[in-house]
This record gives sequence, C-alpha cells and structure tokens, in this order.
Amino acid sequence: MAKQRVAKLLSTATGLILTIAISFAIVILLILVLSDEPGRAIYFFFIGPFTKAYYLGNMLNQSIGLMFTGLGIAVAFKSSTFNLGGEGQAYSGALVATVILLALPNMPGIVGGPAALIGAVVIGAFVAGLSGFFKMRWGTDQLISSFLVSSAVILIVNYFVTGPLDDPTNSMLTTARIAEQYQLLLIFKPSKLDISIFFAVATAIGTYFFMQRSHWGYEMRMCGINREFSKYAGINVGKYLLVPMAISGGFHGLAGGITVMGTHYRCLKGVTAGLGWNGIAVALIAKNNPLAVIPAALFFAYLDAGAKAAMLHADVTFELAKIAQGVIFFLVTAQALYGLFDSKKKRKKVAR
Amino acid sequence: MAYLQMHGITKLYPASGVLANDAVDLSVEENEIHAVIGENGAGKSTLMKLLYGLEQPDAGEIHFRGKHVAIRDPLAANRLGIGMVHQHFKLVPDFTVAENVVLGMEPRKQGLFIDRQSAVKDVTKVIEEHGFSIDPKQKAKDLTVGQMQQVEIVKMLYRNAELLILDEPTSVLTEQEIESLFATLGNLLSRGKTIILITHKLDEVTHMSHRVTVMRGGKVVAVRNTSDVDKRELSRLMVGKDILLQVNRGPTTYGDTVLEMKEISIRCRGQERPLLDRIDLQVRSGELVGIAGVGGNGLAEIEDVIGGLRGATQGSMFLNGVDVTSFSSEQLREAGLAYVPADRLHRGASLPSTVRENCIVTKHHDFLRAGVLQRRDVREFTRHLIDQFSIAASEGMPAGNLSGGNIQKMILARELSGQSNFILFSEPTWGLDIASSQFVYEKMLELRERGAGVLLISSNLDEILGLADTILVLYRGRVVGRLENTDTLSKEIIGEYMLGLRDDSHGPHETNQTEVRRG
Repeated sequence: MAKQRVAKLLSTATGLILTIAISFAIVILLILVLSDEPGRAIYFFFIGPFTKAYYLGNMLNQSIGLMFTGLGIAVAFKSSTFNLGGEGQAYSGALVATVILLALPNMPGIVGGPAALIGAVVIGAFVAGLSGFFKMRWGTDQLISSFLVSSAVILIVNYFVTGPLDDPTNSMLTTARIAEQYQLLLIFKPSKLDISIFFAVATAIGTYFFMQRSHWGYEMRMCGINREFSKYAGINVGKYLLVPMAISGGFHGLAGGITVMGTHYRCLKGVTAGLGWNGIAVALIAKNNPLAVIPAALFFAYLDAGAKAAMLHADVTFELAKIAQGVIFFLVTAQALYGLFDSKKKRKKVAR
Repeated sequence: MAYLQMHGITKLYPASGVLANDAVDLSVEENEIHAVIGENGAGKSTLMKLLYGLEQPDAGEIHFRGKHVAIRDPLAANRLGIGMVHQHFKLVPDFTVAENVVLGMEPRKQGLFIDRQSAVKDVTKVIEEHGFSIDPKQKAKDLTVGQMQQVEIVKMLYRNAELLILDEPTSVLTEQEIESLFATLGNLLSRGKTIILITHKLDEVTHMSHRVTVMRGGKVVAVRNTSDVDKRELSRLMVGKDILLQVNRGPTTYGDTVLEMKEISIRCRGQERPLLDRIDLQVRSGELVGIAGVGGNGLAEIEDVIGGLRGATQGSMFLNGVDVTSFSSEQLREAGLAYVPADRLHRGASLPSTVRENCIVTKHHDFLRAGVLQRRDVREFTRHLIDQFSIAASEGMPAGNLSGGNIQKMILARELSGQSNFILFSEPTWGLDIASSQFVYEKMLELRERGAGVLLISSNLDEILGLADTILVLYRGRVVGRLENTDTLSKEIIGEYMLGLRDDSHGPHETNQTEVRRG
C-alpha cells in the first residue's frame, strides 16, 4: 500500500512540476516579446525573491496568511462545503483582533495576544457559520450565501475602520496602532517575517492529522465524499454542513488577526484584501491536502514576490507581471482541477 | 420485414458484470401498440435505451422501416422518427409548455432569435391535432403530472416521431389520468403512429396492446398476440418457474417483536396515491420476513423509512420496543439498527474511500481514544472482517476497486459485525452472481438461527420464497397479501399478488378507482 501511495504521490508531483515548467516557459516567452531587457526581467521574475534577505523574508511572510486561508478552504472543500466568503471572514478577524488589542493596551502580550486571536477565530467562524446554518436550515446555496454575507461584512468593517475607529493622527485610513507587546517577534530583519510562520506550519500539520485521524475529521471527510452513504451509516450530516464552514471561517479569521499582529500592527482599510481569494487558489493547488498547503502557499507567495521584484528592477509593467502570474496560476490550477475531475470520472466508471 | 426489427441485441455492463440483454429479438409492426413486459432487471429498459441511442449495444442489429440503422444518440433517434417518453419527465419548470416542447429545436427569427410566436403556433397545432388538453402558454411547474406527460408526448410529436416509446407511463399517474393516457394512445394509433409500451402492469397490456413481448433475465421468453393470452399466463411467463435457489431453511421459534410498523404511510403533496399506505409490519426474533413486490410499489420507501433516510408522514415504528418513529439515521444506528441497502454502490459504500474507512463507518466511535482514531485497532478490525467474510480485498484499497460481490460482502461484514438483533436486507443479491448470492443467503439464515429478526425486501421471488417465514406482498404501497410460507404457497400465487391480481386488503384508503377501458 505504502508503495502505491508513493507512486501516486510521485506521479502527482511530476505532473505538477511539468505544468509549472511549461507555464514558466510561456512566461519567459511573454517577457522575451514584451520586454526591452528580457534577461534582467526574467532574472528578477524568477530569481528576484532570493536575491536579498529582505525579499526572501517578505515572501515567506506573505505565505503565512495564505497558509491559514488555504487551510480554511481545504477543510471546507474536503467536506464538500463551499466557502467563497474568505475575504470578509479574514477582514472581520483582522478588525476584531485589533479592537481587542486596542481595548487592552496594558495587558502582557501572552494574555492579550491569544485573546485577540481567539476573538478573530470566533468572528470568522461565526460569519462563515452563518452560511452553514442557512444551508442546514433552508438548503441555501453556500457558494452564494457565503459570498454575499462576506461582501456585506467587508462594508461593515470598512465602516468601522474609516469611521468610529479611524486614527485621526494618521493620514491613512486605519485604526490606531496596537501596543508594542502584541507585535509578533520579527525573526528575519529587515524583512517583515515574523514568528507566526512556525505557527502556520504547525497548524497545517495539525490540520492534516485532525482530518485524517480524528473523529470529526473522519466524519467530515466521509460527508465530503458521499453524503448519502454518511447519512445511511448514521453520521449527522446536517452538522457537517455547519462545522466545516465554521472551521474554515475560523482559519480565515485567524489569518486576519495574524496579519494585523505580525505585519501591519493596525487594521488598515482592506488590510487582508486578496487573502480570501488567494486562499482558494492555494487550496486548489494543494488539492485540499492540508500538508500540501504549505508548499502551495510558498509557491503562490514566490510568484507574487517575483512579480514585484521584476517590476521594481526591470521594465516589467504591473500588467505584464499580473499576466505572467495569471498564466502560471491558470495552468497550475487547471492541472490541479483536471486531477480532481479525473478522479471523479474514474469514480463514476466504477459506480456504473 | 417488420416495421422495427431488433435482432440479436446484446448488452453487457462490464462494471457489474450484468448481461442486461442477451441476444434479444424484438419485432414491432407498423401502427400497433406493442407491450414489452418483465420484472425489474429483466432488461426491458436497457433494450429501449439501446433503441433510443442512450447506450450502444455490444452486438446485434436494428432495422427500422426496412433500413439498417445505427443509432448513436437520441438526436439520431429523433431524426429517424423515434421518440421516447421517459418515466421521469425532463421538463424545465420555469419554461412554458411551448418553450419546453421546442427546446433544442426552436424556430428562429433572423437565424438568431427564438421566434416565440411561431413556437406557440406550431405547438398549438400539434396539441389540437392530437386532442391534448394543455395550454401552450402555461408554465410547466403549474401542470399536473398527467399534463406533464402530455407535454413529453407533444415534444416527441413536434419532432415528427412515428414510433413512440413509453417507459412505464402509468407509474406516476392517477386512475383518471391513466384513462386519459389510454385515450391519447388510441388517438395516436388512429393517426398511424406506432407505440412501444414498457410496463410491468398486466392491466395495461391486456387493455391496450396488440402484441406483447415478455422478457426475463435479459432474454425474450415469449412473444404473443394479446388476444391469445390472459393475465395469469403473462404473470407466469414474467416470473418464470425455475427455482435456482438451494438453501436449507431449518425450523425456528419466534421470540419477541424486534421491529414493528404501525399504520406507516407516506403521502406526497399533490399526489393522490400515497407511496406507502398504512403499512403494518412485525418482525419477531428468529423470524425472516420477506417483503415482495414489483419495484415502484413501495419497497424502496419501506427501506428508506426503516433506515431513517425518509420520514413517514403518518404512523409509528418501534425497534426493540423503543418508539423510533422520529429518529434520525444516527439515532437509529445507536438504537441497534443494521441495514444492507439496495443501492450498495452509492448508499452502502463509499467507493473512493478505503476498505478500512468503509468498514468502520457505522462504529468509528469504538476506535477512538481521546478523539483520535486508533489506526492499529482499525486495521485489526478490518483484517478480521476481511478474513471472516473472505473478502477479496486488502484493507487499504479503495472500495471502488472491489468487484460487486466483494463490495456486498464488505457491507455485510460491516453490518453484521455489530451483533444487532434486527437486520434489514434490501435487494441483497441484485446483480450478484450465484456464488455471492448463496453467501448472502447463508448469512441471512445464520442470523435467523442466531435469533435475530431479519427483514428481506426483494423483488426476486425465488429468494423470498426460499428464505422467508412470513411473506408480505406490496402493491401500490399497500400490503395486499400477508402469507405464511408453507409448501402450498407458490411463486404463481405471490406473483399474482405482486401484479395486483389478488388483493386481501380492503382496497386503497381513498377509493376512487375507475374501471380502465380500452382506448
């Protein structure tokens, strides 16, 4: 069995590496056509993130939030629940964490910090859980309800950040700065990389074991694969329309809280923008495997850092950078999705 | 040559190993109503799927109007003038009748826009010509079931169908609607159409058809002129006489009641006939109760109610004396239910999951220590089941890699591992080969000897007659026969109950049966 598993993993990995190679080739071609200094552009696009400790650290820092949101989506998708509301969940997590920390300016970091993160998890879980509850109660489509609820939540958070919580001493649209003791330890100065990357990696490993080995994880996976079978076997399938959503939302809230405490130290307007959508991308690349979320998030962050470096150091425009990123991303997700459909097709064949 | 000639049609489903059609010949004359009858799984639906291009035969030829034809898909069938009305209607609820009818071949304006006016006009013409009573501008969701069926027929006529296949057309209709359908069929006949009527209802055959082809086990067993046969003979042809089953059913003593249903009914809104009509049922320990019936008469519903997958709208149910009427499937499992479902590939097993995960699903709580599944225990348990039931599998394999018989063994192993004193088996040998079936039978009898109460729901008469102590026959959701399985009981008698020719009950709840006349 172990042999089979390794073989399967290898074939998945070779497929992925091949796709990445092809997409890189296309990007190189694009740059060759569109850039006046293609050598420089290509160098910074692919090697740029590794040229300076500052870039490398920031790239790693960016992957932290993506790991959390990617995990959130992976858990939801594995259970066949659908969470498109990551943006709002992460943003509300950022706000609640900030509010808690601003309310406790004199607590020791070891007390206030966890309190803020718990608050972020709870709000994220609540926002996503709403969609789970709607689905359980009235059969509302989760894709739509999670997206709509999240869109509304973004506006509400915007109101607080730019209204009652706005810091008048700062010209940016932001809340006040959180106290020193809550700011996570930077471990790779001068970059913004902070200690929470270890937490993110540990969380991914923990989630993997949770899904594979725990009672809830098992029931969630079974519901995700075959709801009728699960119901027949006496699993409370209604519960697992809600629980995975809440867990997913909790991860998103956590991503928001960590972004505030580790990187920005305040809740700026749109501080978590992109984390939710990109989390879906990360989960797709990882094929919803919590362990694979780690490299997938790193890869995503690497692409972004490369695009930034190429813009800064070569004549690569913002548009070209985004197109290049898009090409790679499109092919890699398509490959991941193809695998998904492929296994479904096989399943159907057997079922017949 | 006949109008439609199917010759040597063979179809094998490799995944399940079922030979659905075995060198089948069917010949239909122009302008006749030709009934194709048989029990569930006799192969009649498969044959029609092949004729309508939904599936491709492995061997055999189709000649239609004197020409050899290959029918690749339903569109090709339509082009040839073959139309099919499915048992389950395929209408868009928010579209009007006219829009539904023209869907896929809409009349165009300037080659781009749908010409709604001429759509309505064309559809009205078809409706009026054939004397239907539907309004082309009405939305499909507002129609009665009978009207929806009319829309389906109009759809085929709009596509110029000359040969109409009707798959179990009366299964969802009320008596009045059936009568009106028969009138419609008569009308179509007078306009020169040819009709193939697939059914397992003998009334329809004797009232409507000119000729009848009887299928059993994927083969044609008889072709008759309807005027030359009576219902009893047809029912004998359908169920057959050869008993293959070899089991030793020893004597037994009954103990306490383990499962009891009292007046269980399922009524659906908008449907006159209940799916289950005041079912009383009792299974005692040491007793094997068989529920026989043709599919569509309430067998699946009883399975769903007992399994907790569907609530009854009326009545109550007791498991070991506990009122479990409103229990969820989860609570039922806790109350000791064990159950082998009819749909073993989807409901009974999760094919992408490993054998291990399939084996522990009903009792994974037993393998937890501090909320964590103990892998060694799971592995040991699964290996034990694999050995005990000699399942040809390894524990880490996806269940989908197993053969049908081994999947069923895996389900049996799981359901029997809990030592429940009540076990429900629904169609447990459907599609299995003889050796696997035999295995299932032995297990069922073992349980009965052990003193468990066993309920067997099956449309296979051989197994009901070979195994059950008490036999209940369902017809149209009612228990029409409650029989002790003695030596005098024969397949023919049960078959007559199953087909509604005998009825010991006091008729349906709401008596609004009208005599069905020849259209």
